[in-house]
Amino acid sequence: MKTFVATALGAAMVTTALAGPAMAQTIRVHQDADIRSTDPGVNRDGNTDDVILHVVEGLVGYDKEGRPQPLLAESIDVSDDGLEYTFHLRDDVRFHNGEPLTAEDVIFSWDRFMDPETGWRCLSSFDGRINLKVEDASAIDDMTVRFRLAAPNPLFLSSLARKDCGMTAITHRDSLNEDGTWNKPIGTGPFKLNEWRHREYISLVKNEDYANRGEEPNAYVGSKRPLVDELRFVVISDPATANAALVSGSIDIITRVPYAEVETLEAHDNIGITISPQLSPATLPLQTTDPLLSNVKMRQAIASAIDYDQLVAGVTYGLAEPNTSLVPISSPFYSDVTRQGFTYDPARTATLLEEAGYNGETLVLTTNKRNMPNFDAAVIAQAMLQAAGINVEVEVVEWGVQSSQWQAGNYQLMSFSYSARMDPVFSYEAVMGPKDEQPRKVWDDPESQEILIQAMNEPDEEKRQALIEDLHRRMVEFVPIIPLFNILSTGAYRDTITGYESSSFGGPQLWEVSKAE
Amino acid sequence: MLRFVFARVGMAVPTLLLVSIAVFVLVRMIPGDPAQLLLGDLADPDSLADMRQRMGLDKSVFQQFVIWFGNLLTGDLGSSITTGQDVTALVSSRFLISAQVVLAAVLFAALVAVPAGIIAAWRQNGVTDLFLIGTATLLVSIPTFWLGLLMLLLFGVKLSWLPVVGYVPFSQDAMGAVLYLLMPIATLFLHEIGILIRMSRASTLEVLRLDYVTHARAKGLSERAVLTRHVFRNSFGPTWTLIGLVLGNLLGGIAVVETVFTIPGLGRLLVDSIYQRDYPVIQGCLLFVAVTYVLVNLAVDLLYPLFDPKVTAE
Repeated sequence: MKTFVATALGAAMVTTALAGPAMAQTIRVHQDADIRSTDPGVNRDGNTDDVILHVVEGLVGYDKEGRPQPLLAESIDVSDDGLEYTFHLRDDVRFHNGEPLTAEDVIFSWDRFMDPETGWRCLSSFDGRINLKVEDASAIDDMTVRFRLAAPNPLFLSSLARKDCGMTAITHRDSLNEDGTWNKPIGTGPFKLNEWRHREYISLVKNEDYANRGEEPNAYVGSKRPLVDELRFVVISDPATANAALVSGSIDIITRVPYAEVETLEAHDNIGITISPQLSPATLPLQTTDPLLSNVKMRQAIASAIDYDQLVAGVTYGLAEPNTSLVPISSPFYSDVTRQGFTYDPARTATLLEEAGYNGETLVLTTNKRNMPNFDAAVIAQAMLQAAGINVEVEVVEWGVQSSQWQAGNYQLMSFSYSARMDPVFSYEAVMGPKDEQPRKVWDDPESQEILIQAMNEPDEEKRQALIEDLHRRMVEFVPIIPLFNILSTGAYRDTITGYESSSFGGPQLWEVSKAE
Repeated sequence: MLRFVFARVGMAVPTLLLVSIAVFVLVRMIPGDPAQLLLGDLADPDSLADMRQRMGLDKSVFQQFVIWFGNLLTGDLGSSITTGQDVTALVSSRFLISAQVVLAAVLFAALVAVPAGIIAAWRQNGVTDLFLIGTATLLVSIPTFWLGLLMLLLFGVKLSWLPVVGYVPFSQDAMGAVLYLLMPIATLFLHEIGILIRMSRASTLEVLRLDYVTHARAKGLSERAVLTRHVFRNSFGPTWTLIGLVLGNLLGGIAVVETVFTIPGLGRLLVDSIYQRDYPVIQGCLLFVAVTYVLVNLAVDLLYPLFDPKVTAE
């Protein structure tokens, strides 16, 4: 009788739970934090981009290899002088409100982005403050838009496609309230925004009228059919709870499984694992203005004291391979040259320490516990450096504190992960520059900076490759930063899910993903 | 009585003023730049400067305080710098969610713990006492996050009786809401019951030793009558005060339980805001917690005469 009562109670509870929000053909995806806003590229972070890029699209997007390809544009003509880009729009695209995409919508969206009041994160990347300047954007006819640059720039399309720029999304003017403030995205993507319950979930529903390009899946630019009725990004900040939710079937996909948990989840028969190296590098920046570390021999000694295979195996539980280059493993620019980075050589360390006149001074290696790979890398690096005779103290601070210290250049050694940058020159740009103007820069060398600028402006891909390889060689010699490995996308999904794969872009791409009943 | 109420409310005003100043200053002393955290490592110096200006962080701390305090006097706690949400509405809605869990857990815990403490004291050093005090000590010692995770694994994963993640408001689905809140309430209940049993037992023991209890027994009253009529009313005071403190504490601080069970309550909001250095939300949460603490303890004091008439007389 007791068993019956317990079973009946259990059954009643499960029935009620399922009768609640759970629906067929809803894919529930774990999100470790809430999104910032629904305004693409404006108030954003990685989670925000991941969700919103299911709703909106730009003229161009990235393919699997990280190259910009037409998305809302049918084709793109570039003038011989490299100053004019003419985008011919696709004529089958409609916004979520049923209105057709026109050149006027493109200009409206562009003008809004370029208005400083909007607060677009990428404004400085297009108004000439960094390098690239768009002088004018105008509609040639209903379906054609022309952008004129102040100077040729081979990174223009790549910059437009950036995830953190919200893919320079083209949204309908009804996305704004009457007073011009942002309301909600009326885009052209495979899913439409349905409901955002702050700190609980974001629900997207299928765009039945999605104008698919009808090709093979290819990151943001291939076939992007919405195969389920609803995507629900569920905010679960505790990783242990997220794992329990996946195992119990309360969610279908986790996009960032902690490395230590991959094996445990893989042991479940009904859970699959998908792993891919991201573009984001885990690194050890060195403060080259520090009295001790200003000596290049000291920095070289540190670089050769680290056993990269062991460190990376330890941090990632054998899931990742070392990459001591700023060019991501998944980049088409990753070559035999960039593969030859720092190497473990304790004898060289001993010699260099002697030449540097090192007297056992203590170095502080700053890290945090929010990004556990940073912490683990710091602890293992400390052990390796100690073994090589270099005194290192690990200082664990809260992420916000570390972030400020990094920004101010206020550290000796740091275990730090940079955000993903699609083009390798952006990865170098992130670390290179004058420290007196931007203390966050770790590599302040005018000669190398010249090469970076050449690489940024070089349209020929082979020549750019050579310049990037030159920068890599210089980085290995100068040692302003020690890249360790590319952060992994570690996805776990229930066996009812088909078509889900981790990508080098980090976040989930849930078009072409289906769920069995 | 009315004078007592006014005096207590009057005492709360300077407390809250000091709290608001302390909150404002301390929040700004936390190292870490909100603009930098919002923009991440992709931002250039110009964008950072723009963002600081948008957030009003380019003004001096004193100017920021004057603006914030002026708005506060009109009931406006500002807007979140990360999501733009109105802080007053945000904090109140999150508080109501936390309050459901806390009030239910503390109510049930008090209903069980107070009689259990009296029984333990009554049977001091006996098997019942040992069992109750042992259980109480064990429950106090178990961290709530661990207890919560064990519950999740047992009732959510192994038995599949209860949903593992999510939250539904009562207004939307009462039965669903109960199911989602059952485990968090049980976790808090088990933790608080330990604290309250110990307090109830200790204060009962003190009363049991007093002469009038011996007198009551000597005049032939049944043990039940002695305990309910003479011991309970006199020993409940300290436990009642503790319940007030526990309530005040929990209403602002069940972030751990909320994180484990993914409840979008006030505690989680506060912790998330601290990580994001979302100054207006941190200030709003802390101020709200302080007000709640003061009000709960005021309510406890005002209800005290129900158990101890001496207090009114004083």
